[in-house]
Amino acid sequence: MSRLYIFAIGGTGSRVLKSLTMLLASGVKPNSDNNFEIVPIIIDPHKSNEDLKRTERLLGNYQTISNEAGLDSGFFSTKITTLDRLSTSQNRLSGSFTFNLLDVGGKKFSEYIEFNQLDEPNKALADILFSGKSINKRHEEVNLLDVEMDIGFVGNPNIGSIVLNQVKDSQEFKDFASNFNEDDRVFIISSIFGGTGAAGFPTILKNIRDAMNNLNIDGKGFLQDAKIGAITVLPYFNIEKDNDSPIQKSDFIAKTKAALYYYKDNVTGNNSINSLYYIADNYSGKPYKNDPGDGGQKNDAHFVEMASALAIIDFLETPDRDLETSGGKAQKPIYKEFGIRKDASDIKFSDLEDYTERKIALRLSQLVLFRKYLVEHLSSAIEKEAWSNDSPEINKKFVDDTFYRTNLTEFLSSFSDWINEMAENKRGFSPFNLESSIEALIEGRTIKSSWFTSKVDFPAINNKLSKQGKGKTYSSASQKLIQLFFNTTEEILTSKFGLKN
Amino acid sequence: MEEFFASLYEWFGLNPLYSTDMGDQLRGWDITCTDYIGTPWYVIIGWSMIGITIISYALQYHIINSPQFNKKHHWWIMALVIVLLNFLVAFLIPFNSIQSGDFCNLLYLSVSDSIGFGASNAVWSFILFILLTSFKYPRYLGINCRHTTFWKP
Repeated sequence: MSRLYIFAIGGTGSRVLKSLTMLLASGVKPNSDNNFEIVPIIIDPHKSNEDLKRTERLLGNYQTISNEAGLDSGFFSTKITTLDRLSTSQNRLSGSFTFNLLDVGGKKFSEYIEFNQLDEPNKALADILFSGKSINKRHEEVNLLDVEMDIGFVGNPNIGSIVLNQVKDSQEFKDFASNFNEDDRVFIISSIFGGTGAAGFPTILKNIRDAMNNLNIDGKGFLQDAKIGAITVLPYFNIEKDNDSPIQKSDFIAKTKAALYYYKDNVTGNNSINSLYYIADNYSGKPYKNDPGDGGQKNDAHFVEMASALAIIDFLETPDRDLETSGGKAQKPIYKEFGIRKDASDIKFSDLEDYTERKIALRLSQLVLFRKYLVEHLSSAIEKEAWSNDSPEINKKFVDDTFYRTNLTEFLSSFSDWINEMAENKRGFSPFNLESSIEALIEGRTIKSSWFTSKVDFPAINNKLSKQGKGKTYSSASQKLIQLFFNTTEEILTSKFGLKN
Repeated sequence: MEEFFASLYEWFGLNPLYSTDMGDQLRGWDITCTDYIGTPWYVIIGWSMIGITIISYALQYHIINSPQFNKKHHWWIMALVIVLLNFLVAFLIPFNSIQSGDFCNLLYLSVSDSIGFGASNAVWSFILFILLTSFKYPRYLGINCRHTTFWKP
């Protein structure tokens, strides 16, 4: 199985990765002959970032569910693994998805570059390169050199590019390089209008393409000519005005322009990247809280992040012949943007282009219906309905076990938060009525019913589940729950709601 | 077949359920009191008991076949229906004969005999329903009631 290594940089990286995890959990897969194993590597100096913590927890739960349910169960059927699992070396890392940035916590930038040890000409150069002001986590104005980096680079890519350059010498990068094979791919997620992502993307890209010059790593040849895709997320949300904050909406465009100008020579201009996706939204919606990072940085999920995750699916669908690389240069670089059919402030499935709708509508609806059943009806069905009594039984003991009680419940709760947050955000994505009856679950989809067809309610789902499960064998109750519901929800949503696969 | 059903119904002993005379009437003792050449009620009622029980079973397990009618209390409701139907069939047939005097006048038949035979038929239909639904097959050929028995779910 080939692997896709995803470098998710900064807060946007974590949020897009979260969206990707949700899509993969729902069963969205690339139309490709190749099955890819996903290896996420989150790079964010801001360890207390709530978005990062939520994504890490989500990935952990996904991994457990996927391991228990197997890869042919429909939901959770794409393998996600941590980098350490690939490594057999003595220096095996702990099982985390997060890259461990050294010497960042509680340290000022000037200490990181050992400013006081520099000679006078270098001090003068550093003063020029890192002039300007920022704020620290106590909201005090400080010189850029005195920024404490444990809340990230606070919109300063010039700092980020120095710190993130340590990636190439890290154990994680060595593990990544030594495990990277010819058929593997790399995808980099970053935003362009902040600090961490804007700095991290070209830095990571350069370190991969320049792997031949890195004496510390193996697998250089494969890395130099790796098939690399990336999404660079341009401004897509509004932010509250706060004159005391270093984060200003008015700076977003200037920072974006500056970064794009840099990319023109160092990313796109030199053909370093095989496939680059751009996404942006100039819709001026509900402003986010202006939080430079010290408040935990927990932003609501946004449609743009889900669309960005679809770039990863699209990248995996791109055939190898279109991603040829020679001497570290993409032979036929591809540049893509994302669009929707209708400029709606609250996007429904019908507002998406056909391909996007086909890709996600059925699968997301399946997971929504699965969650709805588990939350609202499972307790009254277990040990009563035929499908639950078939062996292996879905019984009270099963729902009290960690798999269901913690991993699955927690994951589906995050999934429902994700759907709700996207719906409440502006621009919103609200194709579901989560609290309504099953028949009104999907906006704009009416049930195909007639005199001779039954309505869609929980008893009808129980009937379908019992039919689906009859005579089937499952390796475990966990596998049965996931696979049975995937097949049943697919049948109901295609036959009754007219969703297409 | 007549002996089979006769021994079935008389399994409990002719007393206390019903009298020997009722047994003769059900075996087909004719109205002229000469031989067992009358209507063989044991066979007819026996087959009707099997038919009613199987049809009721099929109705719950394969025709209604609903997740809203597959719990153990639904099994007991269906069992009650089966028992009542079979009681009525076995009660009404001899009862009508008694009312119309359509039997050998040497036999002494009473309403309590009819009730006793009705009870015997009801008990056997109940036993048959238990047997039909306690083994894996044919229950497992259904969808929603394939785990439904008198003790679960």
